[in-house]
Amino acid sequence: MFKGIVYAKSFQLAVALFILLLLLPPFVPRFYVYILALIYVTSLLAMSLNLLVGHGGMFQFHHAVFYGVGAYTVALMLTKTRMPVWVGFLAGPIAAMFAGLVIGWFCVRLTRLYFGMLQISLGSLVWAIVFRWYRFTGGDDGIHGVPMPPLLSSLNRSYYFILIILALSLMLLYLILKSPFGSTLQAIRDNPDRCAAVGINVRRHQLLAIVVATFFAGIAGVLFVVLERSVFPDLLFWVLSLEIFIMCLLGGWFTFAGPVLGAAITVALRTFVGIYTEYWTLILGVILILLIFFLPEGVMGYLLEILKPRAKEAAGRRE
Amino acid sequence: MLHVEGVVKSFDDFKAVNGANLVVGRGEIVAVIGPNGAGKTTLFNLITGQLQRDQGKILFKGEDISALPPYEICHRGIARSFQIVNIFPRLTVFENVQVAVLSQQKRSHDLFSPAQSIAVEKTQSILESIGLAGKGKNIAGSLSHGDQKILEIAIALGNEPELLILDEPTAGMSPEETAATMELIQCLARTRGLTILFCEHDMEIVFSISQSIMVMHQGRTLIQEKPEAVRQNKEVQEAYLGGE
Amino acid sequence: MGVSYGAADLISQFLVGISRSMILFIVCAGLSFVLGVLRVPNIAHGSLYMIGAFATFSLSKVFAGSYGFWFALILAPLLVVLISLVAERALFCHLYQREHLMLLLFTFALSLIFGDLVKLVWGAEYRSVAAPDLLKGSVSMLGSSFPRYNLFLIFIGLGVATALWVFVNKTKIGKISRAAAVDREMVGMLGINVSWVFAAAFVIGCYLAGLGGALVAPTVSITLGMDHTLIIEAFLIVTIGGLGNMWGALVGSLIFGVTHSLGVLILPQFAIIFPYAAVVIVLLLRPKGLLKSVW
Repeated sequence: MFKGIVYAKSFQLAVALFILLLLLPPFVPRFYVYILALIYVTSLLAMSLNLLVGHGGMFQFHHAVFYGVGAYTVALMLTKTRMPVWVGFLAGPIAAMFAGLVIGWFCVRLTRLYFGMLQISLGSLVWAIVFRWYRFTGGDDGIHGVPMPPLLSSLNRSYYFILIILALSLMLLYLILKSPFGSTLQAIRDNPDRCAAVGINVRRHQLLAIVVATFFAGIAGVLFVVLERSVFPDLLFWVLSLEIFIMCLLGGWFTFAGPVLGAAITVALRTFVGIYTEYWTLILGVILILLIFFLPEGVMGYLLEILKPRAKEAAGRRE
Repeated sequence: MLHVEGVVKSFDDFKAVNGANLVVGRGEIVAVIGPNGAGKTTLFNLITGQLQRDQGKILFKGEDISALPPYEICHRGIARSFQIVNIFPRLTVFENVQVAVLSQQKRSHDLFSPAQSIAVEKTQSILESIGLAGKGKNIAGSLSHGDQKILEIAIALGNEPELLILDEPTAGMSPEETAATMELIQCLARTRGLTILFCEHDMEIVFSISQSIMVMHQGRTLIQEKPEAVRQNKEVQEAYLGGE
Repeated sequence: MGVSYGAADLISQFLVGISRSMILFIVCAGLSFVLGVLRVPNIAHGSLYMIGAFATFSLSKVFAGSYGFWFALILAPLLVVLISLVAERALFCHLYQREHLMLLLFTFALSLIFGDLVKLVWGAEYRSVAAPDLLKGSVSMLGSSFPRYNLFLIFIGLGVATALWVFVNKTKIGKISRAAAVDREMVGMLGINVSWVFAAAFVIGCYLAGLGGALVAPTVSITLGMDHTLIIEAFLIVTIGGLGNMWGALVGSLIFGVTHSLGVLILPQFAIIFPYAAVVIVLLLRPKGLLKSVW
């Protein structure tokens, strides 16, 4: 009842926002177009993580690895091979998904904390290889000047492409969360033992969730390369993994679009704080502490708490 | 239908179950009773796969299920409810039952169809048959304790089991709720042709509805007989009344 | 590749590996201890290690002269203890009732803050500390020369291991900590203030982190980013050793240190691959670690 109203309204809002953002570039300085595009890329990454963390209850502590794998795959394919661009774009998420499958296969055999720490271990191995294999991956210089097709030649065109892919991905993620797969995943989050008792192969389900989430992380990686035309090892560094975690927490990890909000706030803050000081990490740490103590449901969680009684009232008045 | 023979389970040095035997025939209602710590819940955990036995056999419909993981045992036709409420607190009542139904229909991995239009009738009918139909959209965590215990059973029903195992289904309920729940269970057994295995502390209930009672004491099976025979058995009287 | 190594080189590298393992062990024992009692991997452990190293640098400058390093070795870990005690009493202890994920995120927040604080106080340049006169130079052992400082590290490592064994098995606090690791409710019901036990465990763990940082100071360049490298390695070691198990930390550290040192002989640039590979192999065979986890 009231749920239907809220979501229908949110959908209309989302469509309106999408159109507004699509029309934005000609009216706004270049810098803001760039920042928005960066927010879109980061949002997709955070949303992909939240599938596992907020909706799946898994300790996915090193999600950035799959983002980095996606980005590096497309960068390597476009700089070192003569494959068509679109093959490179597809290869990114597929490689990320494959990495997710391999690392995930090890991790799902363990519970909670072990899952997380093993993932940090295996992910760090991947990072170490990328960081040191100078001849192949450029080591800590990374790869720069990745060529893009004429269709994506300008910042504005990249912006449109990224926004459209983000919108499509968000719709897909929404469908997935509302599917039987999504319900079962959330049930696993709430009570994995009970799920086993009702006939669900929890490990297999979690592995499937990891594959889906890392696929989208890989897409985010490709979008990053479209925006920046370069890659570097920091994309696979575990600090980024924990930053995305914070974005999900900040936005509200039990909500659908919370991570988008979290990513937007974080990237915007990081950019504007960065103008005044180089101690962004310190501020991020303080924000995290404030969140833990005062706002554990995140910003969107908090907003929904306030809005729910009002929507219920409105529904009551209607009936 | 279910044969448990000589099952032993120890935790380090403590023998929680030390020679348990149980026979459940198709269509029967069988109760397991025993003082606290007798090993009843451990036995149930062994049957449904949450624990692995050290020795002994567990056969269901002729198949040895002793080494199977819980989800496989569920697919064989055994479903269970838990002593401590074990539901999905953040999901709605409807979704709680639907998860089990989806699992039964092997549709848990379905990625792109909307869940709210799948298995609706089945889920609704289960909710109706246990009296929670009106509360379908409530968040499960917000239900009263009695309702949550009923939801426990409803989730188990979602798997369309042949054997339903209930671990203290009326624990913590008021006398009215208890009577209502037991009637419900009997009714379900009749209408759905379920075989029921349960354990309870309320002796009135146990003796009034069971066809066969198995008595456990300190991990061992003392006897398994019809209620009258159990009531008159000397060992049972000692174990229960002597100690209390 | 293509360089031939004699037995003496192998032995010497092996011993270098062991001495490096000692520092890792001291740090990881602290991490494991906190992990065992509080059930939270302290992400700030690496930052505290880094603070220990930087503090050793400053303190050995303040106490110039041949005894400078020894003063620093004693005081730097105490400084780290002070910092961690402040953080614990002011903020961390209020979270003990919350879910573990929140505690973990708090330690992450601390690591972010401490990392930048180090940048604020000491700047971004590389620092270095000289070994004290007593420990400079090498001794010749088993056919090749072996740095005195590394021998010192081996002795200190054994000393810390012994002290920890005595602490955990023979002292009251140690035994209570072990009990709290296994069953904190039980300990609470015995009338012991669990919050104080946690505080004590946290402080001890942080002391070890600071001590590790102080000990490592003369052997490496002290830089920002030390915290990251360390915490990844420490997590790996603690995972293969068995979560919360201090002897597991010893075993894990030895495996890590020795495979790294021997790896340097085979693939100098990619030596780090060897310990990682060892970790992967261990985890494939024993996913829960080599030794039993405390819980």
